[in-house]
Amino acid sequence: MNQRNARRPAAVTSWVLPALFLMLLLGVWQLAASTGFLADRLGLEEFLVPAPVEIAEVLWKDRSLIADNAWVTLIEVVVGFLIALVLGLATATLLHLSDLLRRASYPLVVASQTIPIIVIAPVLVVWFGYGIGPKLAVVALICFFPITVNTLDGLQSVDRDKVKMMRTLWASRRQVFTRVEVPTALPYAFSGAKIAVAVAVIGAIFGEWAGADRGLGYLMLQDNAQLMTARLFASVFVLSAIAISLFALVAVLERRLLRWR
Amino acid sequence: MKKLALLCFALVAAVAVSACGTKSENVTPVREEFSVALDWYANPDHAGFFVAQDRGYFEDAGLDVSLDSPTDPSLPIKLVAAGKADLAISYEPEVLLARQQGLDVVSVATVVGVPLTSMIWLKESKIRNVAGLKGKTISTAGIPYQDAYLRTILERAGLSESDVKKVGVGQGLLPSIVSGRAQATLGPLWNIEGVDLKLSGQNPVINPVDQLGVPTYSELVLVANGSRVAEDPESIELFLKALERGTREAVAMPNMATETVIAANKALDRKTTAAQMRVTLPLLAQNNGEKPFGYMDTTRWQKFIDWAVEKDVLTAPQRAVDVLSNALLPTGRIDPG
Repeated sequence: MNQRNARRPAAVTSWVLPALFLMLLLGVWQLAASTGFLADRLGLEEFLVPAPVEIAEVLWKDRSLIADNAWVTLIEVVVGFLIALVLGLATATLLHLSDLLRRASYPLVVASQTIPIIVIAPVLVVWFGYGIGPKLAVVALICFFPITVNTLDGLQSVDRDKVKMMRTLWASRRQVFTRVEVPTALPYAFSGAKIAVAVAVIGAIFGEWAGADRGLGYLMLQDNAQLMTARLFASVFVLSAIAISLFALVAVLERRLLRWR
Repeated sequence: MKKLALLCFALVAAVAVSACGTKSENVTPVREEFSVALDWYANPDHAGFFVAQDRGYFEDAGLDVSLDSPTDPSLPIKLVAAGKADLAISYEPEVLLARQQGLDVVSVATVVGVPLTSMIWLKESKIRNVAGLKGKTISTAGIPYQDAYLRTILERAGLSESDVKKVGVGQGLLPSIVSGRAQATLGPLWNIEGVDLKLSGQNPVINPVDQLGVPTYSELVLVANGSRVAEDPESIELFLKALERGTREAVAMPNMATETVIAANKALDRKTTAAQMRVTLPLLAQNNGEKPFGYMDTTRWQKFIDWAVEKDVLTAPQRAVDVLSNALLPTGRIDPG
């Protein structure tokens, strides 16, 4: 344990390096835009790919509009993810405990991943109306698969010898589950959660595109139609920031919980 | 070895002689590549284009034309501004918005010179007029200038935007009213989706927006890059001439027009397309009187621009003469017969 702590880089440097790299990329992009390289050589005019400085200006100018809509989308992402988390963990547990159920439903779990969101979102909107319901459903659908599959893999990966040992100590099924299987599966579950949280924003956007009157997806649709490309890109940046922050949050939680393990 | 060399020499000689022969007999003309970005998948609005292509009128004009369909209707005008497409089909309001954003685009011909966008509700909704929309849900495509249409329409009926619930559904306009989730929708085209609804037995009440108070405008126009129009307009002129030929032919032969469009888009249903074609062809014919095919009326465009400024669709006034150019139009006009 102490060895791991000693090799872990200090918290400060762990974000400094990516931040510097990001700034380098932005700098190159800004240079390419302002020297006309993007427009002249690559045919990427300003209204197709705005310069970072322009995006930053619009982000500041329209900050309250973007913030209001970002908040709506954030709620959809977080609540939808939590729904998927509960359903996913429950499903994984059930499929782990019942051999029969697992063999019957695992292919269906995989199939749930293949439903094109762009097809199912409008259907959900017709069923559930234009409130937050269909957006939550789409986000939950997109998050369900990684959480379930990863957690199930984790539960199934338990060392059989450990289970045997617990049995020799007269441990009950429940104790085997909570003392051995859950801790083993925890890192896998977190893996699944991290993947889910990163793609959840995509689900929220598709849900909004199918029927909404607020949200970043709704704003992006309007901005695309009005050729306000800079604000469109600004919304994309905010969306990415939301995804990255949620990802980091899950990663922090993971470190805390696993350290305790 | 000698025999082999002789054989090779004979082969080469034969090829050389035959090549000389073909050179003088079969000269394939060099056609200029010309790309047109349509606003949507092939449909009756594009009858003139596809008939002209099918009949070889573009080839006769020396153009190798490709008609492309993006899935995002706001993309074509960007392609033209970026020089990636020679012409784009776009909408009069979008041309104005593009110019406001600094895109160098100019409208060079009318394709459909009247509004097609409509507000539709179903008979079963018991709505009798716009005033009856108070408290109801109205679905839109989420396009800001169409929100301005909605505001204008509501104002004329004594309502304000806060009297209705507006929801953006992207491309789910028809499902929204058919499912009853919305009581009215603004955005479907009366000659395409309107006909679709009628044929499916839904009993729609269809109101083109210019009948509800929005000033008239051209729903579909052809847009070109501004510098291109100034410096190298010849191929565009040739294209428009060929387009006029194709449109004239389509207007005279509706069944042929339907077959041509269906051949270009296998996903279309024959019966529906034929019905849509019947109401669309007179629009494409553009009864312009003495004016050339594709003519754009500067006064009428200016009226629309002024309305757009008043409704905050545009942040600054524009001059219609800067936005459009009739200089590339063919001089003929179509007799709708």
